[in-house]
Amino acid sequence: MSSSDQNSQVNDSSVGQQAPVEVSDNSTTHFGYKTIEKDDKISMVAGVFHSVAKQYDVMNDLMSFGIHRLWKRFTIDASGVRPGNKVLDLAGGTGDLTAKFSQLVGRDGKVVLADINSSMLNVGRDKLRDKGLVQNIEYVQANAEYLPFEENTFDIVTIAFGLRNVTDKDKALRSIYSVLKPGGRLLVLEFSKPEHELLNKAYDFYSFNILPKMGELVAKDGDSYQYLAESIRMHPDQETLKGMMENAGFEQTTFKNLTGGVVALHKGYKF
Amino acid sequence: MLTNKIANELLLPQVLTAALELLINKALLLNVNKGLSLQKVSAKTLTLELAELAFPLSFTVSSQARVIVSSLTERSDCTISTSVSTLKKLKANQQVTQLIKQGELDVIGDVKIAQQFAEISQSLEIDWQSELAKHIGDVPTHKIVQFGNKITKNFGKHSTELQADVGEYIVHEKRLVATNGQVKHFNQQVADVSNKVDKINSRINTLFTRLSNKK
Repeated sequence: MSSSDQNSQVNDSSVGQQAPVEVSDNSTTHFGYKTIEKDDKISMVAGVFHSVAKQYDVMNDLMSFGIHRLWKRFTIDASGVRPGNKVLDLAGGTGDLTAKFSQLVGRDGKVVLADINSSMLNVGRDKLRDKGLVQNIEYVQANAEYLPFEENTFDIVTIAFGLRNVTDKDKALRSIYSVLKPGGRLLVLEFSKPEHELLNKAYDFYSFNILPKMGELVAKDGDSYQYLAESIRMHPDQETLKGMMENAGFEQTTFKNLTGGVVALHKGYKF
Repeated sequence: MLTNKIANELLLPQVLTAALELLINKALLLNVNKGLSLQKVSAKTLTLELAELAFPLSFTVSSQARVIVSSLTERSDCTISTSVSTLKKLKANQQVTQLIKQGELDVIGDVKIAQQFAEISQSLEIDWQSELAKHIGDVPTHKIVQFGNKITKNFGKHSTELQADVGEYIVHEKRLVATNGQVKHFNQQVADVSNKVDKINSRINTLFTRLSNKK
Protein backbone atom coordinates (compact mmCIF):
# COMPACT_ATOMS: atom_id res chain seq x y z
CA MET A 1 0.00 0.00 0.00
CA SER A 2 1.46 3.38 -0.96
CA SER A 3 1.84 6.24 1.49
CA SER A 4 -0.85 8.08 -0.38
CA ASP A 5 -3.31 5.25 0.10
CA GLN A 6 -2.47 4.93 3.76
CA ASN A 7 -3.25 8.58 4.37
CA SER A 8 -6.44 8.40 2.43
CA GLN A 9 -7.52 5.65 4.80
CA VAL A 10 -6.63 7.76 7.83
CA ASN A 11 -8.75 10.54 6.48
CA ASP A 12 -11.70 8.29 5.74
CA SER A 13 -11.81 6.91 9.22
CA SER A 14 -10.95 10.09 11.11
CA VAL A 15 -13.53 12.36 12.63
CA GLY A 16 -11.54 15.28 11.40
CA GLN A 17 -10.12 16.38 14.76
CA GLN A 18 -6.71 14.76 14.47
CA ALA A 19 -4.29 15.57 11.68
CA PRO A 20 -2.67 12.50 10.14
CA VAL A 21 0.98 11.73 10.59
CA GLU A 22 2.84 13.64 7.94
CA VAL A 23 4.17 11.43 5.18
CA SER A 24 5.87 13.26 2.38
CA ASP A 25 8.02 12.61 -0.60
CA ASN A 26 8.83 14.83 -3.53
CA SER A 27 5.89 13.73 -5.67
CA THR A 28 3.11 14.08 -3.08
CA THR A 29 1.52 16.91 -1.17
CA HIS A 30 -1.44 17.54 1.10
CA PHE A 31 -5.00 18.28 0.20
CA GLY A 32 -6.48 18.80 3.64
CA TYR A 33 -5.67 15.56 5.48
CA LYS A 34 -5.30 13.58 2.25
CA THR A 35 -1.94 12.97 0.67
CA ILE A 36 -2.22 13.34 -3.06
CA GLU A 37 -0.01 13.59 -6.11
CA LYS A 38 1.40 17.12 -6.48
CA ASP A 39 0.04 17.41 -10.00
CA ASP A 40 -3.50 16.84 -8.73
CA LYS A 41 -3.53 19.56 -6.07
CA ILE A 42 -4.06 22.54 -8.37
CA SER A 43 -7.16 21.04 -9.95
CA MET A 44 -8.54 19.86 -6.59
CA VAL A 45 -8.06 23.28 -4.96
CA ALA A 46 -9.52 24.86 -8.08
CA GLY A 47 -12.58 22.64 -7.65
CA VAL A 48 -13.07 23.94 -4.11
CA PHE A 49 -12.84 27.60 -5.09
CA HIS A 50 -14.93 27.28 -8.27
CA SER A 51 -17.57 25.83 -5.99
CA VAL A 52 -17.49 28.50 -3.29
CA ALA A 53 -16.57 31.63 -5.31
CA LYS A 54 -20.05 33.16 -5.43
CA GLN A 55 -20.71 32.70 -1.71
CA TYR A 56 -17.10 33.40 -0.69
CA ASP A 57 -17.64 36.84 0.87
CA VAL A 58 -20.83 35.86 2.69
CA MET A 59 -19.17 32.73 4.04
CA ASN A 60 -16.09 34.67 5.16
CA ASP A 61 -18.28 37.07 7.12
CA LEU A 62 -20.27 34.24 8.64
CA MET A 63 -17.35 31.98 9.50
CA SER A 64 -15.17 34.67 11.05
CA PHE A 65 -18.04 36.76 12.48
CA GLY A 66 -16.73 39.61 10.30
CA ILE A 67 -13.30 39.58 11.96
CA HIS A 68 -11.57 38.79 8.65
CA ARG A 69 -12.19 42.43 7.73
CA LEU A 70 -10.19 43.56 10.77
CA TRP A 71 -7.37 41.10 10.00
CA LYS A 72 -7.20 42.54 6.47
CA ARG A 73 -7.21 46.10 7.83
CA PHE A 74 -4.34 45.14 10.11
CA THR A 75 -2.46 43.88 7.04
CA ILE A 76 -3.03 47.18 5.23
CA ASP A 77 -1.85 49.14 8.28
CA ALA A 78 1.28 46.97 8.50
CA SER A 79 2.05 47.27 4.79
CA GLY A 80 3.33 50.85 4.90
CA VAL A 81 1.80 51.45 1.47
CA ARG A 82 2.46 54.84 -0.13
CA PRO A 83 1.02 56.71 -3.11
CA GLY A 84 2.63 55.49 -6.32
CA ASN A 85 3.47 52.01 -4.99
CA LYS A 86 3.04 48.87 -7.09
CA VAL A 87 1.22 46.19 -5.13
CA LEU A 88 0.61 42.53 -5.96
CA ASP A 89 -2.39 41.05 -4.16
CA LEU A 90 -1.65 37.39 -4.67
CA ALA A 91 -4.45 34.83 -4.26
CA GLY A 92 -6.45 38.03 -3.95
CA GLY A 93 -9.75 36.23 -4.37
CA THR A 94 -12.64 38.62 -4.26
CA GLY A 95 -10.41 41.66 -3.93
CA ASP A 96 -10.85 42.94 -0.37
CA LEU A 97 -7.20 44.00 -0.07
CA THR A 98 -7.05 45.20 -3.67
CA ALA A 99 -9.98 47.56 -3.07
CA LYS A 100 -8.19 49.33 -0.22
CA PHE A 101 -4.74 49.29 -1.84
CA SER A 102 -6.16 50.72 -5.04
CA GLN A 103 -7.47 53.75 -3.17
CA LEU A 104 -4.27 54.21 -1.17
CA VAL A 105 -1.73 53.99 -4.01
CA GLY A 106 -3.68 56.54 -6.05
CA ARG A 107 -3.56 57.20 -9.78
CA ASP A 108 0.24 56.94 -9.94
CA GLY A 109 0.28 53.52 -8.32
CA LYS A 110 -0.88 50.13 -9.52
CA VAL A 111 -2.45 47.07 -7.94
CA VAL A 112 -2.38 43.67 -9.57
CA LEU A 113 -5.04 41.27 -8.36
CA ALA A 114 -3.75 37.78 -9.11
CA ASP A 115 -5.45 34.47 -8.46
CA ILE A 116 -4.99 31.03 -9.90
CA ASN A 117 -8.74 30.53 -9.95
CA SER A 118 -10.73 32.17 -12.74
CA SER A 119 -14.04 32.02 -10.85
CA MET A 120 -12.61 33.91 -7.89
CA LEU A 121 -10.96 36.42 -10.21
CA ASN A 122 -14.26 37.03 -12.03
CA VAL A 123 -16.15 37.57 -8.78
CA GLY A 124 -13.39 39.93 -7.60
CA ARG A 125 -13.35 41.87 -10.88
CA ASP A 126 -17.14 42.32 -10.87
CA LYS A 127 -17.11 43.45 -7.24
CA LEU A 128 -14.36 46.02 -7.73
CA ARG A 129 -15.88 47.39 -10.93
CA ASP A 130 -19.22 47.76 -9.16
CA LYS A 131 -17.40 49.87 -6.57
CA GLY A 132 -16.03 52.10 -9.33
CA LEU A 133 -12.47 50.90 -8.82
CA VAL A 134 -11.13 50.59 -12.36
CA GLN A 135 -8.29 53.04 -12.89
CA ASN A 136 -5.27 51.36 -11.41
CA ILE A 137 -6.16 47.68 -11.09
CA GLU A 138 -5.00 44.85 -13.33
CA TYR A 139 -6.25 41.27 -13.18
CA VAL A 140 -3.94 38.35 -13.78
CA GLN A 141 -4.67 34.65 -13.55
CA ALA A 142 -1.42 33.30 -12.16
CA ASN A 143 0.13 30.47 -10.21
CA ALA A 144 2.06 31.77 -7.18
CA GLU A 145 4.86 29.30 -7.92
CA TYR A 146 5.51 30.76 -11.38
CA LEU A 147 4.67 34.46 -11.20
CA PRO A 148 4.51 35.95 -14.69
CA PHE A 149 6.19 39.25 -13.79
CA GLU A 150 9.66 40.66 -14.28
CA GLU A 151 12.10 40.61 -11.38
CA ASN A 152 12.04 43.63 -9.05
CA THR A 153 8.56 44.80 -10.06
CA PHE A 154 6.55 45.26 -6.86
CA ASP A 155 6.94 47.35 -3.69
CA ILE A 156 4.53 45.16 -1.77
CA VAL A 157 3.23 41.61 -2.22
CA THR A 158 0.39 40.33 -0.06
CA ILE A 159 -1.07 36.86 0.08
CA ALA A 160 -4.08 36.60 2.37
CA PHE A 161 -5.51 33.18 3.16
CA GLY A 162 -3.92 31.79 0.00
CA LEU A 163 -0.52 30.33 0.83
CA ARG A 164 -1.89 27.18 2.44
CA ASN A 165 -3.57 26.24 -0.85
CA VAL A 166 -0.33 26.51 -2.81
CA THR A 167 1.20 23.15 -3.74
CA ASP A 168 4.87 24.08 -3.29
CA LYS A 169 5.03 26.90 -0.75
CA ASP A 170 8.83 27.19 -0.85
CA LYS A 171 8.77 27.66 -4.60
CA ALA A 172 6.00 30.26 -4.26
CA LEU A 173 7.99 32.20 -1.65
CA ARG A 174 11.06 32.21 -3.92
CA SER A 175 8.93 33.38 -6.83
CA ILE A 176 7.47 36.21 -4.72
CA TYR A 177 10.98 37.19 -3.55
CA SER A 178 12.03 37.47 -7.16
CA VAL A 179 9.26 39.86 -8.21
CA LEU A 180 9.73 42.16 -5.19
CA LYS A 181 11.87 45.27 -5.58
CA PRO A 182 14.82 45.64 -3.19
CA GLY A 183 13.29 47.27 -0.10
CA GLY A 184 9.97 45.66 -0.92
CA ARG A 185 8.05 43.54 1.53
CA LEU A 186 5.90 40.44 1.62
CA LEU A 187 2.92 40.17 3.95
CA VAL A 188 1.44 36.72 4.51
CA LEU A 189 -1.91 36.70 6.29
CA GLU A 190 -2.85 33.13 7.04
CA PHE A 191 -4.57 30.88 9.55
CA SER A 192 -2.08 29.63 12.11
CA LYS A 193 -1.77 27.87 15.44
CA PRO A 194 -3.68 29.37 18.42
CA GLU A 195 -1.39 30.28 21.31
CA HIS A 196 -3.53 28.82 24.10
CA GLU A 197 -4.60 25.20 24.41
CA LEU A 198 -8.15 26.05 25.43
CA LEU A 199 -8.60 28.31 22.42
CA ASN A 200 -7.07 25.60 20.25
CA LYS A 201 -9.66 23.07 21.43
CA ALA A 202 -12.58 25.47 20.98
CA TYR A 203 -11.24 26.38 17.54
CA ASP A 204 -10.95 22.70 16.60
CA PHE A 205 -14.51 22.02 17.67
CA TYR A 206 -15.77 25.02 15.72
CA SER A 207 -13.75 24.17 12.59
CA PHE A 208 -14.69 20.51 12.33
CA ASN A 209 -18.21 20.49 13.70
CA ILE A 210 -19.80 23.84 12.91
CA LEU A 211 -17.92 25.19 9.91
CA PRO A 212 -18.71 22.34 7.45
CA LYS A 213 -22.38 22.48 8.47
CA MET A 214 -22.40 26.24 7.85
CA GLY A 215 -20.84 25.58 4.44
CA GLU A 216 -23.50 22.98 3.67
CA LEU A 217 -26.27 25.35 4.71
CA VAL A 218 -25.12 28.55 3.00
CA ALA A 219 -22.82 27.53 0.13
CA LYS A 220 -24.42 24.08 -0.30
CA ASP A 221 -20.91 22.63 -0.11
CA GLY A 222 -19.90 21.09 3.21
CA ASP A 223 -16.91 19.21 1.68
CA SER A 224 -15.13 22.41 0.65
CA TYR A 225 -15.39 23.76 4.17
CA GLN A 226 -14.21 20.45 5.59
CA TYR A 227 -11.16 20.91 3.30
CA LEU A 228 -10.75 24.45 4.66
CA ALA A 229 -10.59 23.19 8.26
CA GLU A 230 -8.16 20.41 7.35
CA SER A 231 -5.93 22.63 5.22
CA ILE A 232 -5.60 25.07 8.14
CA ARG A 233 -4.34 22.28 10.41
CA MET A 234 -1.84 21.13 7.78
CA HIS A 235 -0.46 24.63 7.25
CA PRO A 236 2.95 25.37 8.84
CA ASP A 237 2.81 27.04 12.25
CA GLN A 238 4.16 30.55 12.92
CA GLU A 239 7.82 29.68 13.50
CA THR A 240 7.96 27.19 10.61
CA LEU A 241 6.57 29.69 8.13
CA LYS A 242 8.99 32.33 9.40
CA GLY A 243 11.83 29.89 8.74
CA MET A 244 10.50 29.16 5.25
CA MET A 245 10.44 32.86 4.45
CA GLU A 246 14.02 33.24 5.65
CA ASN A 247 15.07 30.25 3.54
CA ALA A 248 13.54 31.96 0.52
CA GLY A 249 15.77 34.99 1.15
CA PHE A 250 13.54 37.32 3.16
CA GLU A 251 15.17 39.41 5.88
CA GLN A 252 13.91 41.07 9.07
CA THR A 253 11.18 38.45 9.09
CA THR A 254 8.63 38.83 11.86
CA PHE A 255 5.12 37.62 12.64
CA LYS A 256 2.26 38.96 14.69
CA ASN A 257 -0.43 36.71 16.09
CA LEU A 258 -3.97 37.99 15.69
CA THR A 259 -6.99 36.80 17.68
CA GLY A 260 -4.84 34.59 19.88
CA GLY A 261 -2.92 33.06 16.98
CA VAL A 262 -5.96 31.87 15.03
CA VAL A 263 -4.42 34.02 12.31
CA ALA A 264 -0.87 35.33 11.97
CA LEU A 265 0.58 38.08 9.83
CA HIS A 266 4.12 37.33 8.66
CA LYS A 267 6.23 40.11 7.21
CA GLY A 268 9.60 39.94 5.50
CA TYR A 269 11.76 42.29 3.44
CA LYS A 270 13.89 41.87 0.35
CA PHE A 271 17.10 43.91 0.51
CA MET B 1 1.98 49.67 27.80
CA LEU B 2 -0.37 46.91 28.93
CA THR B 3 -3.33 48.89 27.61
CA ASN B 4 -1.63 49.18 24.21
CA LYS B 5 -1.07 45.44 24.12
CA ILE B 6 -4.68 44.69 24.97
CA ALA B 7 -5.88 47.25 22.41
CA ASN B 8 -3.75 45.61 19.74
CA GLU B 9 -4.83 42.10 20.75
CA LEU B 10 -8.46 43.12 20.38
CA LEU B 11 -7.65 44.89 17.09
CA LEU B 12 -9.11 48.10 18.54
CA PRO B 13 -7.26 50.38 16.09
CA GLN B 14 -8.85 48.47 13.23
CA VAL B 15 -12.29 48.50 14.88
CA LEU B 16 -12.09 52.27 15.38
CA THR B 17 -10.80 53.04 11.87
CA ALA B 18 -13.47 50.80 10.32
CA ALA B 19 -16.23 52.49 12.33
CA LEU B 20 -14.95 55.99 11.50
CA GLU B 21 -14.64 55.14 7.82
CA LEU B 22 -18.20 53.85 7.76
CA LEU B 23 -19.55 56.92 9.60
CA ILE B 24 -17.66 59.48 7.52
CA ASN B 25 -18.61 57.94 4.18
CA LYS B 26 -22.24 57.59 5.29
CA ALA B 27 -22.22 61.27 6.32
CA LEU B 28 -20.77 62.25 2.93
CA LEU B 29 -23.47 60.24 1.23
CA LEU B 30 -26.21 62.00 3.22
CA ASN B 31 -24.72 65.47 2.74
CA VAL B 32 -27.15 67.95 1.19
CA ASN B 33 -24.69 70.82 0.78
CA LYS B 34 -24.10 70.77 -2.97
CA GLY B 35 -21.16 73.17 -2.62
CA LEU B 36 -19.11 70.59 -0.74
CA SER B 37 -16.37 69.05 -2.85
CA LEU B 38 -13.58 66.66 -1.94
CA GLN B 39 -11.69 67.54 -5.12
CA LYS B 40 -9.26 69.86 -3.32
CA VAL B 41 -8.08 67.11 -1.00
CA SER B 42 -8.23 64.23 -3.46
CA ALA B 43 -5.32 61.81 -2.87
CA LYS B 44 -4.28 63.82 0.22
CA THR B 45 -3.84 62.41 3.71
CA LEU B 46 -4.33 64.09 7.07
CA THR B 47 -2.96 62.23 10.11
CA LEU B 48 -4.15 62.88 13.65
CA GLU B 49 -1.95 61.78 16.53
CA LEU B 50 -4.13 62.12 19.59
CA ALA B 51 -2.58 61.94 23.07
CA GLU B 52 -5.51 59.77 24.17
CA LEU B 53 -4.88 57.14 21.48
CA ALA B 54 -1.85 54.86 21.18
CA PHE B 55 -2.14 54.79 17.39
CA PRO B 56 -2.53 57.46 14.69
CA LEU B 57 -5.65 58.06 12.62
CA SER B 58 -5.01 58.82 8.95
CA PHE B 59 -7.73 60.15 6.68
CA THR B 60 -7.09 59.70 2.96
CA VAL B 61 -9.44 60.94 0.27
CA SER B 62 -9.52 58.60 -2.72
CA SER B 63 -10.20 59.64 -6.31
CA GLN B 64 -13.63 58.01 -5.91
CA ALA B 65 -14.39 60.70 -3.29
CA ARG B 66 -14.35 58.16 -0.48
CA VAL B 67 -12.49 58.67 2.77
CA ILE B 68 -10.19 55.82 3.81
CA VAL B 69 -9.34 55.75 7.51
CA SER B 70 -6.24 53.79 8.52
CA SER B 71 -3.35 53.76 10.97
CA LEU B 72 -0.82 54.30 8.19
CA THR B 73 1.61 57.15 8.76
CA GLU B 74 3.91 56.67 5.78
CA ARG B 75 1.92 58.79 3.39
CA SER B 76 0.73 61.77 5.42
CA ASP B 77 0.64 65.24 3.84
CA CYS B 78 -0.07 66.87 7.19
CA THR B 79 0.29 65.42 10.69
CA ILE B 80 -1.36 67.05 13.69
CA SER B 81 -0.28 65.94 17.16
CA THR B 82 -2.66 67.08 19.87
CA SER B 83 -5.34 65.95 22.33
CA VAL B 84 -9.13 65.75 22.09
CA SER B 85 -9.57 68.72 24.47
CA THR B 86 -7.27 70.89 22.33
CA LEU B 87 -9.17 69.88 19.21
CA LYS B 88 -12.30 71.28 20.86
CA LYS B 89 -10.48 74.55 21.63
CA LEU B 90 -9.25 74.69 18.08
CA LYS B 91 -12.77 74.40 16.77
CA ALA B 92 -14.06 77.07 19.14
CA ASN B 93 -11.29 79.66 18.89
CA GLN B 94 -9.21 79.06 15.78
CA GLN B 95 -6.18 79.92 17.95
CA VAL B 96 -3.68 77.75 16.10
CA THR B 97 -0.58 79.88 16.72
CA GLN B 98 -1.27 80.31 20.43
CA LEU B 99 -1.89 76.58 20.91
CA ILE B 100 1.34 75.72 19.08
CA LYS B 101 3.26 78.16 21.33
CA GLN B 102 1.71 76.57 24.41
CA GLY B 103 2.90 73.16 23.18
CA GLU B 104 -0.65 71.82 22.98
CA LEU B 105 -0.55 71.42 19.22
CA ASP B 106 2.14 70.34 16.79
CA VAL B 107 1.72 70.49 13.04
CA ILE B 108 4.10 68.84 10.56
CA GLY B 109 3.57 69.22 6.82
CA ASP B 110 1.17 71.33 4.83
CA VAL B 111 -1.20 73.20 7.20
CA LYS B 112 -3.40 74.05 4.22
CA ILE B 113 -4.39 70.39 3.97
CA ALA B 114 -5.59 70.43 7.58
CA GLN B 115 -7.56 73.62 6.93
CA GLN B 116 -9.19 72.09 3.85
CA PHE B 117 -10.19 68.98 5.79
CA ALA B 118 -11.60 71.21 8.57
CA GLU B 119 -13.58 73.27 6.03
CA ILE B 120 -15.08 70.11 4.56
CA SER B 121 -16.13 68.76 7.95
CA GLN B 122 -17.71 72.10 8.87
CA SER B 123 -19.61 72.42 5.60
CA LEU B 124 -21.24 69.00 5.89
CA GLU B 125 -25.01 69.40 6.09
CA ILE B 126 -27.24 66.47 6.81
CA ASP B 127 -31.01 66.74 6.79
CA TRP B 128 -31.62 64.31 9.65
CA GLN B 129 -35.38 64.89 9.59
CA SER B 130 -35.70 63.85 5.93
CA GLU B 131 -33.50 60.83 6.52
CA LEU B 132 -35.55 59.74 9.52
CA ALA B 133 -38.79 60.37 7.65
CA LYS B 134 -37.68 57.99 4.89
CA HIS B 135 -37.62 55.20 7.45
CA ILE B 136 -40.49 55.91 9.81
CA GLY B 137 -42.71 58.41 7.95
CA ASP B 138 -43.38 62.16 8.16
CA VAL B 139 -45.75 62.36 11.12
CA PRO B 140 -43.73 60.20 13.56
CA THR B 141 -40.60 62.13 12.54
CA HIS B 142 -42.30 65.46 13.24
CA LYS B 143 -43.47 64.23 16.65
CA ILE B 144 -40.02 62.87 17.55
CA VAL B 145 -38.31 66.11 16.54
CA GLN B 146 -40.86 68.18 18.53
CA PHE B 147 -40.31 65.96 21.55
CA GLY B 148 -36.52 66.19 21.13
CA ASN B 149 -36.62 69.99 20.91
CA LYS B 150 -38.79 70.18 24.02
CA ILE B 151 -36.42 67.96 25.98
CA THR B 152 -33.36 69.92 24.83
CA LYS B 153 -35.01 73.20 25.80
CA ASN B 154 -36.03 71.90 29.22
CA PHE B 155 -32.64 70.33 29.77
CA GLY B 156 -30.91 73.60 28.89
CA LYS B 157 -33.11 75.56 31.29
CA HIS B 158 -32.70 73.06 34.14
CA SER B 159 -28.99 72.77 33.49
CA THR B 160 -28.51 76.55 33.84
CA GLU B 161 -30.59 76.61 37.03
CA LEU B 162 -28.71 73.65 38.44
CA GLN B 163 -25.36 75.23 37.67
CA ALA B 164 -26.39 78.45 39.44
CA ASP B 165 -27.71 76.56 42.50
CA VAL B 166 -24.64 74.35 42.82
CA GLY B 167 -22.38 77.41 42.44
CA GLU B 168 -24.27 79.27 45.15
CA TYR B 169 -24.12 76.27 47.50
CA ILE B 170 -20.40 75.58 47.03
CA VAL B 171 -19.20 79.18 47.11
CA HIS B 172 -21.47 80.92 49.60
CA GLU B 173 -23.06 78.27 51.82
CA LYS B 174 -20.31 75.66 52.18
CA ARG B 175 -17.45 78.06 51.35
CA LEU B 176 -15.60 75.23 49.60
CA VAL B 177 -14.52 77.41 46.71
CA ALA B 178 -13.46 81.07 46.69
CA THR B 179 -15.21 83.64 44.52
CA ASN B 180 -13.42 85.38 41.64
CA GLY B 181 -13.00 88.55 43.72
CA GLN B 182 -11.52 86.64 46.64
CA VAL B 183 -9.04 84.87 44.39
CA LYS B 184 -7.99 88.19 42.82
CA HIS B 185 -7.59 89.80 46.25
CA PHE B 186 -5.51 86.84 47.46
CA ASN B 187 -3.30 87.00 44.37
CA GLN B 188 -2.79 90.74 44.93
CA GLN B 189 -1.78 90.13 48.54
CA VAL B 190 0.70 87.45 47.47
CA ALA B 191 2.17 89.84 44.90
CA ASP B 192 2.50 92.60 47.58
CA VAL B 193 4.28 90.24 49.98
CA SER B 194 6.57 89.12 47.16
CA ASN B 195 7.46 92.76 46.40
CA LYS B 196 8.16 93.50 50.06
CA VAL B 197 10.41 90.43 50.35
CA ASP B 198 12.31 91.56 47.25
CA LYS B 199 12.77 95.03 48.80
CA ILE B 200 14.01 93.58 52.09
CA ASN B 201 16.36 91.27 50.23
CA SER B 202 17.78 94.18 48.30
CA ARG B 203 18.21 96.21 51.49
CA ILE B 204 20.00 93.36 53.28
CA ASN B 205 22.35 92.99 50.31
CA THR B 206 23.12 96.74 50.47
CA LEU B 207 23.81 96.55 54.21
CA PHE B 208 26.14 93.58 53.72
CA THR B 209 28.03 95.50 51.04
CA ARG B 210 28.43 98.53 53.34
CA LEU B 211 29.65 96.34 56.24
CA SER B 212 32.22 94.59 54.08
CA ASN B 213 33.46 97.97 52.75
CA LYS B 214 33.92 99.28 56.33
CA LYS B 215 36.03 96.25 57.22
